[in-house]
Amino acid sequence: MRGLLGTVLGLPLAMMLCGLLAAAVPVDWRQWLVPLMLLSLVIWAAVIVLAGLARRPWRLGAGLLAANGLAWLLLQTTPLYGGA
Amino acid sequence: MRAATLKRHIDLHAWVGILAGLALFVAFFAGALNMFHHELHHWQEPAHEAGAPDANMQALLDTVLANHPEAGNWMFLIPGDDPSAIWQEQVDGKPVWHTEHAADFNDAGENVAVAGSGLSEFVNELHYELALPKVGIHLMGIVSVLYGAALIGGLVIHWSRLRKEFFALKHQGNLRRYWKNLHNLVGVLSYPFHVIFAWTGAAMCCLALLTLVMSGLVFGPQFQSAFTDATEAWPAPQASGNAVAMAGVDRYLARAEQTLPELEVGWIELQQYGDENAVVDVGGSVHGNVGHYAHVVMRGDDAALLTTTGPGNRTLNDAFLTPVYSLHFGDYGGLLVRVLYFVLALLGCLLFFSGNILWCERRTDRQGPSRAAAVMLRLTLGVTFGVVAGLAVSFLVSKPMLHSPWSAWTAPAEKIAFLITLLIALAAAFRAPPLATARLWPTLCAVLYMAAPLVQGAWEGFATWRETDILLVNGSLWAVAAGLLLVERLRVRRQRRAAPHPLWTGTVRSAAPAPAGADPDPA
Repeated sequence: MRGLLGTVLGLPLAMMLCGLLAAAVPVDWRQWLVPLMLLSLVIWAAVIVLAGLARRPWRLGAGLLAANGLAWLLLQTTPLYGGA
Repeated sequence: MRAATLKRHIDLHAWVGILAGLALFVAFFAGALNMFHHELHHWQEPAHEAGAPDANMQALLDTVLANHPEAGNWMFLIPGDDPSAIWQEQVDGKPVWHTEHAADFNDAGENVAVAGSGLSEFVNELHYELALPKVGIHLMGIVSVLYGAALIGGLVIHWSRLRKEFFALKHQGNLRRYWKNLHNLVGVLSYPFHVIFAWTGAAMCCLALLTLVMSGLVFGPQFQSAFTDATEAWPAPQASGNAVAMAGVDRYLARAEQTLPELEVGWIELQQYGDENAVVDVGGSVHGNVGHYAHVVMRGDDAALLTTTGPGNRTLNDAFLTPVYSLHFGDYGGLLVRVLYFVLALLGCLLFFSGNILWCERRTDRQGPSRAAAVMLRLTLGVTFGVVAGLAVSFLVSKPMLHSPWSAWTAPAEKIAFLITLLIALAAAFRAPPLATARLWPTLCAVLYMAAPLVQGAWEGFATWRETDILLVNGSLWAVAAGLLLVERLRVRRQRRAAPHPLWTGTVRSAAPAPAGADPDPA
């Protein structure tokens, strides 16, 4: 259950965390898109590992949902989505 | 690390392993044989048809274009004794890839090819998509990420006792301890390579998934064009509609040699060939580098240079992308590295096999006999021996079919033989006690792998064994047989010294809850 939650909810979270990193680094993300995508896979795997350490699945699910929501909100404050 | 945290890491490692283990076994076993993919292409062809000395790529290109005018929109030419053309056509709005070899055409340019063996394609499909069209590649992408998670967990679990476990493969204690030590030893020895396989495999198989999520959630519609720019040597040209004369294959090759003399040409990519916007990419390898792929891109009409990409002349994106492919394919260091990858892939199979057995025995020891552990053990034995034996039978069927009046049915026959063998192995694994399966199938598989080169030699002449490609493929089949015999020998020796775990002797139905406190191996 923990692994499943980590796999399903970890994917968007890892991608959005990479998006936030791309917004924070003062280099055009297009120039380092491939390293960014490779990094996102490592983060996804790490989220699955961390999810496996949770004591209760429902807490993990709620935490991952909250983290996804927060990351999405933070992404809206960046010029990334549809930005030039 | 706290004991509770360590236990959760072990649980996660075990669960992720059990979910991904069988798919990884199939991918690794097919991947081991796929290390000799190009040689297998040669092996699977009828011996008398191998090579077409007067074939050249320009003649092949002209013939294919005469038969399929649309093929010039996007085509790859692959040089060699028997050059091939691979092109994409739109059929009912869907892209479909076609392949033709120079030897497929007669002097009049008529296609006289008869469908033959598809062994190399089948082994490749098994490797990257478990031979499941459309869904298989995405499944393998997720499996690769889970595999990465299991590797991270494995490192956390074993970091503190790495040195001790390195010398721990001893014939003492019960059988589970032996499997555990073997699993740890193989895992520790080949850990860096497994990280490479997991990461690069995930990168290749998850591409569509990552593109979907990244464009949908993070970068929006601008992502696709940015991704294309980051990953392609030159943007795909649009046809202008004005037909012009093309420079021709010889001039493209001459331009590539002039621009990048150390390039060994692996392919020529043609886009909008025949149009004034045509672009030609002569690609290949500059040896001596891990990221060895290189491109010389030029105009199609006058072979004027557009750009060059290669070692020492890459964008950051390309510098990260190129090693993803070369590290996964193991084609950066010659035959020695490919043989090393072959051995590591077979050791990987042992890792996943032993991991699954460990899970089954550990579950039984901790919770008493359970149906889940009994079923999983049989599934593991059935799938692993079924895939190993199935591929051997595909090899065995290939040559007799190819030289029979039904040669056009060779490729389907190879797949059907694999499937039937897999189903028989699965049925046998669930019908017989696991110990009987473990006694019979390794030897049987070894015999099948020893027989495959003999059948090839019997049908096409043992003189063909002197050809390097044939020798490499036959050698890899014998190496698999030798590996299986070694595993069988270890099993026999081990069984002489210790009684088998009860899980190996019972039936699925007999797997009922055990009395509390039954724990033959508290370790």
